[in-house]
Amino acid sequence: KYKAAQTVFNIDKKCQKISPDGKAKIQLQLLLHTGESTTFHFANGSTALKDRDATKELLQQLLPKFKKKANKELEEKNRMLQEDPVLFQLYKDLVVSQVISAEEFWANRLSLNTVEHSLSNNNKQEVGISAAFLADIRPQTDGCNGLRYNLTSDIIESIFRTYPTVKQKYAENIPHNMTEKEFWTRFFQSHYFHRDRISTGQQDIFSECAKQDEKGLKSMVTQGVKNPMVDLLSLEDKSLDEGYGTATVPTTSNSSNKSLRENSNSAIIKRFNHHSAMVLAAGLRKAEAPSDQASETSSTDGNSRDSDFFQPPLKKVKLQESIEYDDLQGDSGRQTIALNLKKSDRYSHGPIPLQSQHYTTSQDIINSISIIQHEMRNYKPRLTQVMSSNAASSAITALSPGGLLMQGGGQQTINQLVPTDVQSELKHLYTAAGELLRHFWSCFPVNTPFLEEKLTGHLEEMLQAAYSKFQVWQTRRMMRKT
Amino acid sequence: MKLNIDGLLVYFPYDYIYPEQYSYMLELKRTLDAKGHGVLEMPSGTGKTISLLSLIVAYQKAYPLEVTKLVYCSRTVPEIEKVVEELRKLMDYYTKQTEAKNDFLALALSSRKNLCIHPEVSALRFGKEVDGKCHSLTASYIRAQHHSNPSQPVCQFYEEFDAVGRQVPIPPGIYNLDDLKDFGRRKGWCPYFLARYAILHANIVVYSYHYLLDPKIADLVSKELAKKSVVVFDEAHNIDNVCIDSMSVNITRRTLDRCQTNVETLQNTISRIKETDAAKLREEYSRLVEGLKEANVARETDMYLSNPVLPDEILQEAVPGSIRTAEHFVGFMKRFLEYLKARLRIHHVVQESAPQFLKDIYEKVCIDRKPLRFCAERLRSLLRTLEIADIADFSAITLISHFATLVSTYSKGFTIIIEPFEDRTPTIANPVLHFSCMDPSIAIKPVFGRFQSVIITSGTLSPLDIYPRILDFRPVTVASFTMTLARTCLCPLIVGRGNDQVAMTSKFETREDFAVIRNYGNLLLEMSAIVPDGIVAFFTSYIYMENIVASWYEQGILENIQRNKLIFIETQDAAETSMALEKYQEACENGRGAILLSVARGKVSEGIDFVHHYGRAVIMFGVPYVYTQSRILKARLEYLRDQFQIRENDFLTFDAMRHAAQCVGRAIRGKTDYGLMIFADKRYARADKRGKLPRWIQEHLTDGSLNLTIDETVQLGKHFLRQMAQPFRQEDQLGLSLLTLEQLQSEDMLQKIAQIAQQA
Repeated sequence: KYKAAQTVFNIDKKCQKISPDGKAKIQLQLLLHTGESTTFHFANGSTALKDRDATKELLQQLLPKFKKKANKELEEKNRMLQEDPVLFQLYKDLVVSQVISAEEFWANRLSLNTVEHSLSNNNKQEVGISAAFLADIRPQTDGCNGLRYNLTSDIIESIFRTYPTVKQKYAENIPHNMTEKEFWTRFFQSHYFHRDRISTGQQDIFSECAKQDEKGLKSMVTQGVKNPMVDLLSLEDKSLDEGYGTATVPTTSNSSNKSLRENSNSAIIKRFNHHSAMVLAAGLRKAEAPSDQASETSSTDGNSRDSDFFQPPLKKVKLQESIEYDDLQGDSGRQTIALNLKKSDRYSHGPIPLQSQHYTTSQDIINSISIIQHEMRNYKPRLTQVMSSNAASSAITALSPGGLLMQGGGQQTINQLVPTDVQSELKHLYTAAGELLRHFWSCFPVNTPFLEEKLTGHLEEMLQAAYSKFQVWQTRRMMRKT
Repeated sequence: MKLNIDGLLVYFPYDYIYPEQYSYMLELKRTLDAKGHGVLEMPSGTGKTISLLSLIVAYQKAYPLEVTKLVYCSRTVPEIEKVVEELRKLMDYYTKQTEAKNDFLALALSSRKNLCIHPEVSALRFGKEVDGKCHSLTASYIRAQHHSNPSQPVCQFYEEFDAVGRQVPIPPGIYNLDDLKDFGRRKGWCPYFLARYAILHANIVVYSYHYLLDPKIADLVSKELAKKSVVVFDEAHNIDNVCIDSMSVNITRRTLDRCQTNVETLQNTISRIKETDAAKLREEYSRLVEGLKEANVARETDMYLSNPVLPDEILQEAVPGSIRTAEHFVGFMKRFLEYLKARLRIHHVVQESAPQFLKDIYEKVCIDRKPLRFCAERLRSLLRTLEIADIADFSAITLISHFATLVSTYSKGFTIIIEPFEDRTPTIANPVLHFSCMDPSIAIKPVFGRFQSVIITSGTLSPLDIYPRILDFRPVTVASFTMTLARTCLCPLIVGRGNDQVAMTSKFETREDFAVIRNYGNLLLEMSAIVPDGIVAFFTSYIYMENIVASWYEQGILENIQRNKLIFIETQDAAETSMALEKYQEACENGRGAILLSVARGKVSEGIDFVHHYGRAVIMFGVPYVYTQSRILKARLEYLRDQFQIRENDFLTFDAMRHAAQCVGRAIRGKTDYGLMIFADKRYARADKRGKLPRWIQEHLTDGSLNLTIDETVQLGKHFLRQMAQPFRQEDQLGLSLLTLEQLQSEDMLQKIAQIAQQA
């Protein structure tokens, strides 16, 4: 039975059903995406129930992983087809017309594109974290003095990403110290999860997490803020000396005479601030991680507080921003962003082929248009300095097709002779044939029986199909011509 | 553009102008012409600062003998720096237009902490530490010691400044705090002392309120400012509290203990000096016999801004004999200290007036009123004579001496309250003596008296007539300006009920009500779903916010809000709040959206702007009344009723509404900005509350938006936000809320502008 279970992993599964506990037959039914279903019958008597449960567990764990993988592949294929019209056409020509099977088509492609594949994977946007992910695990009472927490892989992922310390604990303790279930049970019981409860001081593996969080929070606070406009500490210019003023004097013993409730309240507030900061940071962390280039620049762009010399730029910018009235200004001076080159030589000696292409941003285009417009507006024909009409007409003839300067255009290329639809059809056929040939050549050297089989039976068929297709096209064309 | 304001040529550094700016300048000009004081309310984000600067600078250039200096007071350091930057823009425009070299000197002045460039001293984190350290390097006798003993450390920046800085005037220009530091670094001069020296001949000085209103600082920094100055208090809606704070003193047991050690140190120092350098003490004695004549001469010749702690009478007299010698004075202080200690050993609350206190002290320990009045001056002289290095250590005894002088000088306007414990913790003995000022006019009186024009301005000064009353001055102009709008970019809504029709209010009796808290939560939840980017919510007090947040947490409301936006909460720790604030802005910036829960009267509500997407909606939960059970407040209310005929409720409502207006006004910082203003309390609908909102908010409060349910609010809000999200171009504003020079000169526009200002 296990073997059977192993094999089904390769199938897209939609869901699984198990027979109710009381039933005589102990079954596991798998519903596939295609609509088919497979039923496994567990028959070895006494251990059947246990086997079934174990299988179920295993499946449950593998399911999301596999699902993700399957989905990812599908998505990837889809993306490739969408991004590459030539490939799409090829796919239509070869797979849809059943010259070769989809697997064969992709088997070649995907491996070919592994480099690109991994690259695109990196660029893919991470799914953000919902701020309320902890709310989604709100416990529900199950009716008999128990609490049930709903934990999905997404939530676990969110917890790990927002609270790296928990992830660390997880890595430390699973699997040798406790089971996963135990870990999460402890997590939910911990003071860490219920921040409003006052720590009872009992052995709690998460108390360390709490401490670390506290530390992190403190270091964040001591680091201070980068934006001087929101720094409440330096807001006040000259505070009153101690002892002056009507405001109530802060009590000297602040923590001891605070009630328990007040303490728990402020703990909640701290927790929310921390949680939100962590969620925000988790989102940003991912965005920054792949491109260390970006982080490199951001650390030197004047945000660092440690030196007095770096502070003014940001402060100046913020100050200027805050006094600006963009509607009072005339044509609110075009805002330009200064190019910040880290390694300028890298930009001046770029790869050669790329240089030939000229990139223009939309802003450039808009700018140049406005410049041209501006110049046109100021254009005054200088009528005294025009050419004579003879020279002008000879220049025109020289510039018109067939003229002296347009010799190159004389030889008409094939693309002017053949209508475009025929051209494109021909192109498709050519690429399809090329693809088949690629398949053909990729079979050499023939060192596996599979390849041999493919070469002898399969490919010949395919080539045959291609020939016939070409034949069909040719005859159709001939007929059309005559 | 160049404007003609009532015959005055004003350079205005923009191509367009808001109608209300023109109107504002007209009123300002009138005030300056009349050499009187003015109260002007203009909404935030309508370019108040640049209007003020443009007009006053033009006035200064046109009549250099009439107005010699502009003293611009603002509240926070970022505000001060903003003003200087705007001034820089104006001056750049002047040079561009007139092509003459700028001969104006304008500078910002701030505390040592923001100006120090000494590598060790400036590294210190707290202002007080910086001041103390600076003093220990620059005090005159330290420098004298340095002459004989070069190993004594001094500040080379100060030395350098002292050697050459005073002879060479700082070249004309605009100096912000960083510019001063740069200049100081280049020259090797101390920027702080340079700035303090330079304000005497600068054309424009920008600094914080305290430099004029706090007598302790004003005496050091501002007393020589020219009489023909124009003083502007920007963001002045809280000016009465600043005045009161600067004149009030609190004495705890800890203060007295520290004072005790101060006295002992003084005693030891005196006996030591007596053995080594008795001549010094004798010298001081004879100086005191002479009395405080110098100060008197200076004041009579109208050189100095008078110091309310140093009343006129004592200047004419010599220091009384009983405290003239150093030992006698220390003994005197000891006696006074013992008396205060005895007063703090009580078990019930005592409230008395200054004369009662003086009578009691005379009966108990035979301390007369007269020597008490000289306490502050006498101590200062002693500290100088004894060459005490670190003045900061003597803050306790300085505080006591100030108290002594104040209590014996003013028989009216102050009250003494001794509380044995805090109201919330009646079991813990923590006696405090509050000597609290109830009359803000005492601290500001010298300012009104000395300077020819004082302008009080802010975005929220309504009702306008109350400020002249509580500050006790007679303004020549009192005006409120509305905001001309091409589109109604502010949307005040008063939510009075939840969807279950239960009234929403933070009234004391019902504020703990479960239904009220839940409805407040639902309101925030619903708004978090429809408002893009940032929402700022204000609560009436910190404790109230804590309680509500806790019960929202228990009810799971916060978690539901988190589905829509991140939540950040103001804490009582300023550093933590700064961080939360920055994260909040980050979350607004990257599109995630966030909610900031904050407190009215807190630092955020007073100093932080939420422009554009940083605040698309402000929710004011409840009416931010001050904590009315405080005895100090009660005493003040009583005083206001007796002296100024202001009814208690009127004042409380006025105070609550100005804070509410401040809070909701945080979101609108310009005509291109937009935001919802949600007043979540049914009491706002009443005419007495509503009527105290600034005019520019009031006129957009329609009858249809007075007592809404949450659902109705959401509908109106959605509609408003959808409209506002449409592109808004300059052309849409032109001619209505934005004018070119030609449009400004047209006849009917001038007529329209005349209606913008409403005289109170």
